[in-house]
Amino acid sequence: MASGYLLNRGALTLGIHCQRVCRDISLSQVREKKRWMKAYTYLMAKKLKLEGPPPPTPRSQQPHWDYHAEIQAFTHRLHENFSLELLKTVFTNPCYLQMEQEKRKGLGVESETAALVLKDNMQLSKKGSAFAESFLIDWCRASFPSLPAIGVESIVGHLTSPAVITYVAKNLGIEDLTMSAEFPVPDDVLCSTFMAVIGALQESSGAERTGLFLRDFLVTQLIGKDLFDMWTVVNPMGLLVEELTKRKIPLPEPRLIRSAGASTVLPLYFVGLYSDKKLLAQGPGETLAAAEEEAARVALRKLYGYTENRRPFDFSPQQQQQQQPFIQSASN
Amino acid sequence: MTSRGTPSRFLRSVLQNGVGRYVCQLKRISIVFSKKAQSSLGARDFIEEGVVDYANKNPGTVVYVSPQPCRVPKIVAEYLNGNVREETITSKTSQQISELLTKLTNQSGLEIIHIRKPFHTDSPSIQGLWHPFTNRPLSIGPIRGFSMHDF
Repeated sequence: MASGYLLNRGALTLGIHCQRVCRDISLSQVREKKRWMKAYTYLMAKKLKLEGPPPPTPRSQQPHWDYHAEIQAFTHRLHENFSLELLKTVFTNPCYLQMEQEKRKGLGVESETAALVLKDNMQLSKKGSAFAESFLIDWCRASFPSLPAIGVESIVGHLTSPAVITYVAKNLGIEDLTMSAEFPVPDDVLCSTFMAVIGALQESSGAERTGLFLRDFLVTQLIGKDLFDMWTVVNPMGLLVEELTKRKIPLPEPRLIRSAGASTVLPLYFVGLYSDKKLLAQGPGETLAAAEEEAARVALRKLYGYTENRRPFDFSPQQQQQQQPFIQSASN
Repeated sequence: MTSRGTPSRFLRSVLQNGVGRYVCQLKRISIVFSKKAQSSLGARDFIEEGVVDYANKNPGTVVYVSPQPCRVPKIVAEYLNGNVREETITSKTSQQISELLTKLTNQSGLEIIHIRKPFHTDSPSIQGLWHPFTNRPLSIGPIRGFSMHDF
Protein backbone atom coordinates (compact mmCIF):
# COMPACT_ATOMS: atom_id res chain seq x y z
CA MET A 1 0.00 0.00 0.00
CA ALA A 2 2.65 2.43 1.07
CA SER A 3 4.80 1.62 -1.94
CA GLY A 4 1.86 2.33 -4.19
CA TYR A 5 1.44 5.75 -2.61
CA LEU A 6 5.18 6.42 -2.87
CA LEU A 7 5.15 5.61 -6.58
CA ASN A 8 2.30 7.99 -7.21
CA ARG A 9 3.69 10.76 -5.05
CA GLY A 10 5.55 12.08 -8.04
CA ALA A 11 2.62 11.59 -10.40
CA LEU A 12 1.37 14.79 -11.96
CA THR A 13 -2.21 15.83 -11.63
CA LEU A 14 -3.98 14.02 -14.40
CA GLY A 15 -7.08 16.11 -14.14
CA ILE A 16 -8.96 12.97 -13.29
CA HIS A 17 -10.03 12.91 -9.69
CA CYS A 18 -11.10 9.32 -9.21
CA GLN A 19 -13.14 8.53 -6.20
CA ARG A 20 -11.90 5.98 -3.81
CA VAL A 21 -14.41 3.37 -4.94
CA CYS A 22 -12.29 0.80 -6.70
CA ARG A 23 -9.46 -1.06 -5.03
CA ASP A 24 -7.04 -0.03 -7.74
CA ILE A 25 -5.30 2.99 -6.12
CA SER A 26 -2.97 3.77 -9.02
CA LEU A 27 -4.94 6.76 -10.35
CA SER A 28 -6.20 8.36 -7.16
CA GLN A 29 -4.65 11.16 -5.20
CA VAL A 30 -6.45 11.87 -1.99
CA ARG A 31 -6.06 15.01 0.06
CA GLU A 32 -5.71 13.17 3.31
CA LYS A 33 -3.07 13.34 5.95
CA LYS A 34 -0.33 11.08 4.56
CA ARG A 35 0.40 8.44 7.14
CA TRP A 36 3.74 7.50 5.59
CA MET A 37 5.09 11.08 5.55
CA LYS A 38 6.41 11.12 9.13
CA ALA A 39 8.23 7.80 8.83
CA TYR A 40 9.70 8.82 5.47
CA THR A 41 10.94 12.20 6.77
CA TYR A 42 12.53 10.58 9.83
CA LEU A 43 14.20 7.95 7.67
CA MET A 44 15.67 10.58 5.33
CA ALA A 45 16.92 12.64 8.28
CA LYS A 46 18.56 9.54 9.78
CA LYS A 47 20.19 8.78 6.42
CA LEU A 48 21.49 12.38 6.20
CA LYS A 49 22.95 12.12 9.71
CA LEU A 50 24.60 8.80 8.87
CA GLU A 51 26.06 9.65 5.50
CA GLY A 52 26.56 13.38 5.84
CA PRO A 53 25.46 15.97 3.29
CA PRO A 54 25.60 14.99 -0.39
CA PRO A 55 28.83 15.96 -2.23
CA PRO A 56 28.70 19.35 -4.03
CA THR A 57 27.94 19.24 -7.73
CA PRO A 58 29.19 21.75 -10.30
CA ARG A 59 26.73 24.47 -11.30
CA SER A 60 26.69 23.20 -14.88
CA GLN A 61 25.09 19.96 -13.69
CA GLN A 62 22.33 21.70 -11.74
CA PRO A 63 19.08 22.89 -13.36
CA HIS A 64 18.95 26.20 -15.27
CA TRP A 65 22.29 26.35 -17.09
CA ASP A 66 23.05 27.66 -20.58
CA TYR A 67 26.78 27.84 -21.22
CA HIS A 68 26.66 30.26 -24.14
CA ALA A 69 24.42 32.70 -22.24
CA GLU A 70 26.60 32.42 -19.15
CA ILE A 71 29.74 33.26 -21.13
CA GLN A 72 28.08 36.26 -22.77
CA ALA A 73 26.89 37.51 -19.40
CA PHE A 74 30.45 37.07 -18.07
CA THR A 75 31.84 39.40 -20.74
CA HIS A 76 29.14 42.04 -20.23
CA ARG A 77 29.39 41.89 -16.45
CA LEU A 78 33.08 42.81 -16.53
CA HIS A 79 32.50 45.54 -19.15
CA GLU A 80 35.00 43.88 -21.48
CA ASN A 81 34.87 42.55 -25.03
CA PHE A 82 36.21 39.06 -25.41
CA SER A 83 36.09 37.20 -28.70
CA LEU A 84 33.80 34.23 -28.05
CA GLU A 85 36.07 31.74 -29.78
CA LEU A 86 38.92 32.62 -27.46
CA LEU A 87 36.63 32.28 -24.46
CA LYS A 88 35.74 28.75 -25.46
CA THR A 89 39.40 27.78 -25.12
CA VAL A 90 39.92 29.84 -21.98
CA PHE A 91 37.75 27.71 -19.73
CA THR A 92 38.85 24.32 -21.10
CA ASN A 93 41.52 22.81 -18.90
CA PRO A 94 43.89 19.98 -19.92
CA CYS A 95 42.55 17.76 -17.12
CA TYR A 96 39.06 18.12 -18.59
CA LEU A 97 40.28 17.17 -22.05
CA GLN A 98 42.03 14.12 -20.62
CA MET A 99 38.88 13.07 -18.82
CA GLU A 100 36.84 13.44 -22.01
CA GLN A 101 39.35 11.35 -24.01
CA GLU A 102 39.23 8.61 -21.41
CA LYS A 103 35.44 8.65 -21.39
CA ARG A 104 35.39 8.28 -25.14
CA LYS A 105 37.86 5.41 -25.04
CA GLY A 106 35.81 3.80 -22.30
CA LEU A 107 32.66 4.08 -24.39
CA GLY A 108 34.52 2.67 -27.35
CA VAL A 109 34.02 5.72 -29.58
CA GLU A 110 36.76 5.99 -32.18
CA SER A 111 38.73 9.20 -32.35
CA GLU A 112 37.87 9.67 -36.04
CA THR A 113 34.10 9.68 -35.71
CA ALA A 114 33.87 12.00 -32.74
CA ALA A 115 37.08 13.97 -32.47
CA LEU A 116 37.53 16.42 -29.61
CA VAL A 117 37.90 19.77 -31.33
CA LEU A 118 38.64 21.61 -28.10
CA LYS A 119 41.95 23.32 -27.43
CA ASP A 120 43.19 23.70 -23.90
CA ASN A 121 44.13 26.95 -22.22
CA MET A 122 47.81 26.31 -21.34
CA GLN A 123 49.24 28.78 -23.87
CA LEU A 124 46.82 31.55 -22.94
CA SER A 125 47.46 30.87 -19.28
CA LYS A 126 51.24 31.20 -19.64
CA LYS A 127 50.85 34.38 -21.66
CA GLY A 128 48.45 35.82 -19.12
CA SER A 129 50.60 35.07 -16.10
CA ALA A 130 53.69 36.56 -17.77
CA PHE A 131 51.76 39.73 -18.64
CA ALA A 132 50.23 39.95 -15.15
CA GLU A 133 53.62 39.71 -13.46
CA SER A 134 55.24 42.31 -15.68
CA PHE A 135 52.29 44.70 -15.31
CA LEU A 136 52.21 44.34 -11.52
CA ILE A 137 55.98 44.87 -11.23
CA ASP A 138 55.76 48.03 -13.34
CA TRP A 139 52.79 49.29 -11.34
CA CYS A 140 54.59 48.64 -8.01
CA ARG A 141 57.73 50.42 -9.16
CA ALA A 142 55.68 53.41 -10.34
CA SER A 143 53.66 53.64 -7.12
CA PHE A 144 56.54 53.04 -4.70
CA PRO A 145 59.71 54.35 -6.37
CA SER A 146 61.84 53.92 -3.25
CA LEU A 147 60.82 50.31 -2.58
CA PRO A 148 63.73 47.91 -3.27
CA ALA A 149 63.48 45.01 -5.71
CA ILE A 150 62.89 42.39 -3.00
CA GLY A 151 59.96 44.38 -1.67
CA VAL A 152 58.43 44.72 -5.15
CA GLU A 153 58.91 40.99 -5.73
CA SER A 154 57.22 40.06 -2.48
CA ILE A 155 54.23 42.36 -3.16
CA VAL A 156 53.82 40.94 -6.67
CA GLY A 157 54.33 37.42 -5.32
CA HIS A 158 51.56 37.99 -2.80
CA LEU A 159 49.19 39.37 -5.46
CA THR A 160 49.81 36.44 -7.81
CA SER A 161 49.73 33.83 -5.03
CA PRO A 162 47.11 31.03 -5.34
CA ALA A 163 45.24 32.31 -2.26
CA VAL A 164 44.55 35.77 -3.66
CA ILE A 165 43.92 34.62 -7.25
CA THR A 166 41.45 31.89 -6.24
CA TYR A 167 39.61 34.36 -4.01
CA VAL A 168 39.31 36.84 -6.88
CA ALA A 169 38.34 34.11 -9.38
CA LYS A 170 35.64 32.66 -7.12
CA ASN A 171 34.10 36.07 -6.56
CA LEU A 172 34.04 36.83 -10.30
CA GLY A 173 32.06 33.70 -11.20
CA ILE A 174 34.95 31.97 -13.01
CA GLU A 175 34.55 28.80 -10.95
CA ASP A 176 31.11 28.10 -12.45
CA LEU A 177 32.36 28.45 -16.02
CA THR A 178 35.57 26.37 -15.61
CA MET A 179 35.48 22.95 -17.20
CA SER A 180 37.73 20.71 -15.15
CA ALA A 181 37.95 17.05 -14.24
CA GLU A 182 37.34 17.43 -10.50
CA PHE A 183 34.83 19.35 -8.48
CA PRO A 184 35.38 21.45 -6.37
CA VAL A 185 37.87 22.93 -8.83
CA PRO A 186 41.45 22.61 -7.44
CA ASP A 187 43.33 25.84 -6.70
CA ASP A 188 46.01 25.50 -9.38
CA VAL A 189 43.40 24.82 -12.10
CA LEU A 190 41.42 27.89 -11.03
CA CYS A 191 44.61 30.00 -11.03
CA SER A 192 45.56 28.90 -14.53
CA THR A 193 41.99 29.57 -15.75
CA PHE A 194 42.17 33.12 -14.34
CA MET A 195 45.52 33.69 -16.07
CA ALA A 196 44.02 32.33 -19.29
CA VAL A 197 41.25 34.94 -18.94
CA ILE A 198 43.96 37.60 -18.69
CA GLY A 199 45.72 36.18 -21.75
CA ALA A 200 42.48 36.15 -23.75
CA LEU A 201 41.71 39.73 -22.71
CA GLN A 202 45.18 40.75 -23.84
CA GLU A 203 44.65 39.15 -27.25
CA SER A 204 41.15 40.58 -27.72
CA SER A 205 41.42 44.09 -26.31
CA GLY A 206 45.12 44.93 -26.01
CA ALA A 207 47.55 45.59 -23.21
CA GLU A 208 45.99 48.81 -21.95
CA ARG A 209 42.58 47.38 -21.15
CA THR A 210 44.16 44.27 -19.62
CA GLY A 211 46.23 46.57 -17.43
CA LEU A 212 43.08 48.37 -16.29
CA PHE A 213 41.42 45.00 -15.59
CA LEU A 214 44.36 43.85 -13.46
CA ARG A 215 44.39 47.18 -11.65
CA ASP A 216 40.66 46.97 -10.89
CA PHE A 217 40.66 43.39 -9.65
CA LEU A 218 44.14 42.47 -8.41
CA VAL A 219 45.58 45.76 -7.18
CA THR A 220 42.42 46.46 -5.15
CA GLN A 221 43.36 43.43 -3.04
CA LEU A 222 46.21 45.56 -1.66
CA ILE A 223 43.75 47.92 0.04
CA GLY A 224 44.02 47.60 3.80
CA LYS A 225 47.18 45.45 3.66
CA ASP A 226 50.40 46.35 5.44
CA LEU A 227 53.80 46.07 3.71
CA PHE A 228 55.30 43.67 6.22
CA ASP A 229 52.29 41.33 6.02
CA MET A 230 53.36 40.52 2.50
CA TRP A 231 57.14 40.91 2.86
CA THR A 232 58.66 38.98 5.77
CA VAL A 233 61.71 40.90 6.99
CA VAL A 234 63.69 39.03 9.63
CA ASN A 235 66.03 41.85 10.66
CA PRO A 236 64.35 45.23 10.12
CA MET A 237 67.09 47.12 11.97
CA GLY A 238 69.78 45.73 9.65
CA LEU A 239 67.71 46.62 6.60
CA LEU A 240 67.14 50.13 7.96
CA VAL A 241 70.89 50.60 8.50
CA GLU A 242 71.53 49.51 4.89
CA GLU A 243 68.91 51.89 3.53
CA LEU A 244 70.24 54.83 5.52
CA THR A 245 73.85 54.17 4.44
CA LYS A 246 72.63 54.12 0.81
CA ARG A 247 71.00 57.51 1.26
CA LYS A 248 74.00 58.81 3.27
CA ILE A 249 71.94 59.62 6.34
CA PRO A 250 73.66 59.14 9.74
CA LEU A 251 72.94 55.78 11.37
CA PRO A 252 69.98 55.48 13.77
CA GLU A 253 70.40 55.52 17.54
CA PRO A 254 67.61 53.98 19.59
CA ARG A 255 66.44 55.87 22.67
CA LEU A 256 63.68 55.04 25.16
CA ILE A 257 61.04 57.76 24.83
CA ARG A 258 58.12 56.55 26.93
CA SER A 259 57.52 53.76 29.31
CA ALA A 260 54.52 52.64 31.32
CA GLY A 261 53.86 49.69 33.57
CA ALA A 262 57.45 48.46 33.56
CA SER A 263 56.88 46.12 36.49
CA THR A 264 53.46 44.85 35.41
CA VAL A 265 52.34 41.98 33.22
CA LEU A 266 51.75 44.32 30.26
CA PRO A 267 54.62 46.76 30.07
CA LEU A 268 54.70 49.35 27.30
CA TYR A 269 57.86 50.94 25.93
CA PHE A 270 58.14 53.51 23.15
CA VAL A 271 61.56 53.50 21.48
CA GLY A 272 62.51 56.31 19.10
CA LEU A 273 65.21 56.09 16.42
CA TYR A 274 67.27 59.27 16.10
CA SER A 275 69.67 59.98 13.27
CA ASP A 276 71.77 63.08 13.88
CA LYS A 277 69.55 63.94 16.87
CA LYS A 278 66.42 64.17 14.71
CA LEU A 279 63.56 61.71 15.25
CA LEU A 280 63.19 59.22 12.38
CA ALA A 281 60.38 57.11 13.79
CA GLN A 282 59.07 55.76 17.06
CA GLY A 283 57.43 52.44 17.77
CA PRO A 284 55.76 50.69 20.72
CA GLY A 285 56.41 47.25 22.13
CA GLU A 286 56.03 45.04 25.17
CA THR A 287 59.78 44.62 25.66
CA LEU A 288 62.59 47.00 24.75
CA ALA A 289 63.77 44.74 21.93
CA ALA A 290 60.27 44.43 20.47
CA ALA A 291 59.80 48.20 20.66
CA GLU A 292 63.11 48.80 18.88
CA GLU A 293 62.16 46.35 16.11
CA GLU A 294 58.77 48.00 15.69
CA ALA A 295 60.41 51.43 15.52
CA ALA A 296 62.72 50.12 12.77
CA ARG A 297 59.68 48.83 10.86
CA VAL A 298 57.89 52.16 11.18
CA ALA A 299 61.03 53.91 9.90
CA LEU A 300 61.19 51.55 6.92
CA ARG A 301 57.53 52.14 6.10
CA LYS A 302 58.17 55.90 6.13
CA LEU A 303 61.22 55.52 3.90
CA TYR A 304 59.43 53.36 1.34
CA GLY A 305 56.30 55.50 1.39
CA TYR A 306 54.01 52.61 2.41
CA THR A 307 52.45 54.27 5.48
CA GLU A 308 48.77 54.02 6.36
CA ASN A 309 48.17 57.71 5.70
CA ARG A 310 49.77 57.77 2.22
CA ARG A 311 47.89 59.15 -0.78
CA PRO A 312 45.47 56.38 -1.95
CA PHE A 313 46.06 54.59 -5.25
CA ASP A 314 44.44 56.09 -8.32
CA PHE A 315 41.56 53.91 -9.49
CA SER A 316 39.82 56.52 -11.62
CA PRO A 317 38.13 54.97 -14.64
CA GLN A 318 40.00 55.18 -17.93
CA GLN A 319 42.36 57.98 -17.05
CA GLN A 320 43.91 57.85 -20.54
CA GLN A 321 40.67 58.83 -22.21
CA GLN A 322 40.37 61.83 -19.92
CA GLN A 323 43.78 63.13 -20.92
CA GLN A 324 43.10 63.27 -24.67
CA PRO A 325 40.38 66.00 -24.66
CA PHE A 326 42.83 68.30 -22.83
CA ILE A 327 45.39 67.87 -25.62
CA GLN A 328 42.79 68.52 -28.31
CA SER A 329 41.50 71.70 -26.65
CA ALA A 330 45.08 72.94 -26.19
CA SER A 331 45.86 72.47 -29.89
CA ASN A 332 42.61 74.25 -30.88
CA MET B 1 30.48 42.67 25.51
CA THR B 2 27.00 41.31 25.16
CA SER B 3 26.26 39.35 22.03
CA ARG B 4 22.86 39.23 20.43
CA GLY B 5 21.22 35.98 19.46
CA THR B 6 21.12 36.78 15.72
CA PRO B 7 24.26 36.82 13.55
CA SER B 8 25.77 40.14 12.50
CA ARG B 9 28.47 41.36 10.13
CA PHE B 10 30.45 44.48 9.29
CA LEU B 11 29.78 46.71 6.32
CA ARG B 12 31.87 45.53 3.39
CA SER B 13 31.78 45.01 -0.35
CA VAL B 14 32.61 41.92 -2.36
CA LEU B 15 36.10 42.19 -3.88
CA GLN B 16 36.29 46.00 -3.27
CA ASN B 17 33.53 46.47 -5.85
CA GLY B 18 33.19 50.08 -6.95
CA VAL B 19 36.77 51.08 -6.14
CA GLY B 20 37.88 50.04 -9.62
CA ARG B 21 34.90 49.35 -11.86
CA TYR B 22 31.39 48.52 -10.73
CA VAL B 23 30.40 44.91 -11.38
CA CYS B 24 26.76 43.95 -10.99
CA GLN B 25 26.84 41.25 -8.34
CA LEU B 26 23.76 39.38 -9.54
CA LYS B 27 24.90 36.62 -11.89
CA ARG B 28 21.66 34.75 -12.63
CA ILE B 29 18.00 34.74 -11.76
CA SER B 30 15.58 31.88 -12.33
CA ILE B 31 11.88 32.72 -12.40
CA VAL B 32 9.91 29.60 -11.46
CA PHE B 33 6.17 29.96 -11.98
CA SER B 34 3.13 27.94 -12.96
CA LYS B 35 1.28 28.21 -16.25
CA LYS B 36 -2.19 27.95 -14.82
CA ALA B 37 -2.21 28.67 -11.08
CA GLN B 38 -3.78 31.82 -9.62
CA SER B 39 -0.78 32.77 -7.51
CA SER B 40 1.47 33.01 -10.57
CA LEU B 41 -0.73 35.53 -12.36
CA GLY B 42 1.61 38.44 -11.64
CA ALA B 43 4.58 36.32 -12.64
CA ARG B 44 2.96 35.45 -15.97
CA ASP B 45 2.17 39.12 -16.61
CA PHE B 46 5.74 40.06 -15.82
CA ILE B 47 7.05 37.41 -18.24
CA GLU B 48 4.79 38.82 -20.94
CA GLU B 49 5.66 42.47 -20.42
CA GLY B 50 8.75 43.18 -18.39
CA VAL B 51 11.27 40.34 -18.41
CA VAL B 52 12.76 41.10 -21.84
CA ASP B 53 13.32 44.77 -20.90
CA TYR B 54 14.91 43.65 -17.67
CA ALA B 55 17.23 41.23 -19.47
CA ASN B 56 18.25 43.90 -21.97
CA LYS B 57 18.96 46.44 -19.25
CA ASN B 58 21.10 43.97 -17.28
CA PRO B 59 23.27 42.15 -19.82
CA GLY B 60 25.50 40.80 -17.05
CA THR B 61 22.69 38.76 -15.50
CA VAL B 62 21.41 35.54 -17.07
CA VAL B 63 17.62 35.21 -16.83
CA TYR B 64 16.15 31.71 -16.78
CA VAL B 65 12.38 31.44 -17.17
CA SER B 66 11.02 28.10 -16.03
CA PRO B 67 7.29 27.33 -16.19
CA GLN B 68 6.66 24.25 -14.10
CA PRO B 69 3.73 22.92 -12.08
CA CYS B 70 4.34 24.51 -8.70
CA ARG B 71 2.17 25.93 -5.96
CA VAL B 72 4.48 28.75 -4.99
CA PRO B 73 6.10 30.86 -7.72
CA LYS B 74 9.55 32.09 -6.79
CA ILE B 75 12.60 33.97 -8.00
CA VAL B 76 15.98 32.37 -7.23
CA ALA B 77 18.80 34.93 -7.36
CA GLU B 78 22.44 33.79 -7.41
CA TYR B 79 25.20 36.23 -6.60
CA LEU B 80 28.87 36.32 -7.51
CA ASN B 81 30.02 35.51 -3.98
CA GLY B 82 28.04 32.26 -4.08
CA ASN B 83 25.01 33.25 -2.01
CA VAL B 84 21.60 32.15 -3.28
CA ARG B 85 18.45 34.04 -2.36
CA GLU B 86 14.93 32.76 -2.93
CA GLU B 87 12.03 35.18 -2.95
CA THR B 88 8.43 34.03 -3.27
CA ILE B 89 6.27 36.09 -5.61
CA THR B 90 2.89 34.57 -4.72
CA SER B 91 0.08 36.91 -5.71
CA LYS B 92 2.39 39.81 -6.51
CA THR B 93 1.57 42.11 -9.40
CA SER B 94 3.91 42.59 -12.36
CA GLN B 95 4.94 46.03 -11.06
CA GLN B 96 5.82 44.63 -7.65
CA ILE B 97 7.86 41.86 -9.25
CA SER B 98 9.90 44.33 -11.31
CA GLU B 99 10.53 46.44 -8.20
CA LEU B 100 11.66 43.30 -6.40
CA LEU B 101 14.00 42.49 -9.27
CA THR B 102 15.60 45.97 -9.20
CA LYS B 103 16.10 45.53 -5.46
CA LEU B 104 17.80 42.16 -6.02
CA THR B 105 19.96 43.59 -8.81
CA ASN B 106 21.26 46.38 -6.61
CA GLN B 107 22.15 44.11 -3.70
CA SER B 108 25.68 42.88 -3.19
CA GLY B 109 24.88 39.28 -2.32
CA LEU B 110 26.14 39.52 1.25
CA GLU B 111 23.79 38.22 3.93
CA ILE B 112 20.93 40.49 5.00
CA ILE B 113 21.74 40.42 8.71
CA HIS B 114 22.44 43.07 11.30
CA ILE B 115 25.26 45.39 10.22
CA ARG B 116 27.28 46.42 13.23
CA LYS B 117 28.43 49.82 11.98
CA PRO B 118 27.01 51.71 8.99
CA PHE B 119 30.52 52.78 7.97
CA HIS B 120 33.88 51.21 7.17
CA THR B 121 37.26 52.66 6.37
CA ASP B 122 40.67 51.17 5.64
CA SER B 123 42.51 54.34 6.63
CA PRO B 124 40.93 55.35 9.94
CA SER B 125 43.44 58.05 10.76
CA ILE B 126 45.63 60.47 8.83
CA GLN B 127 47.59 62.04 11.66
CA GLY B 128 47.73 58.88 13.72
CA LEU B 129 45.28 57.45 16.27
CA TRP B 130 45.37 59.12 19.69
CA HIS B 131 47.02 57.22 22.53
CA PRO B 132 47.81 58.55 26.00
CA PHE B 133 51.33 59.56 24.98
CA THR B 134 50.24 61.78 22.06
CA ASN B 135 51.00 65.48 22.62
CA ARG B 136 52.63 64.80 25.98
CA PRO B 137 55.93 66.66 26.33
CA LEU B 138 58.89 64.32 26.61
CA SER B 139 60.23 66.07 29.71
CA ILE B 140 57.51 64.39 31.77
CA GLY B 141 58.65 60.89 32.74
CA PRO B 142 56.64 57.64 32.59
CA ILE B 143 52.85 57.76 33.15
CA ARG B 144 52.25 57.73 36.85
CA GLY B 145 49.39 58.66 39.16
CA PHE B 146 48.20 62.22 39.50
CA SER B 147 50.68 64.46 41.33
CA MET B 148 50.29 68.14 42.23
CA HIS B 149 53.61 69.44 40.87
CA ASP B 150 52.61 68.64 37.24
CA PHE B 151 50.48 71.80 37.21
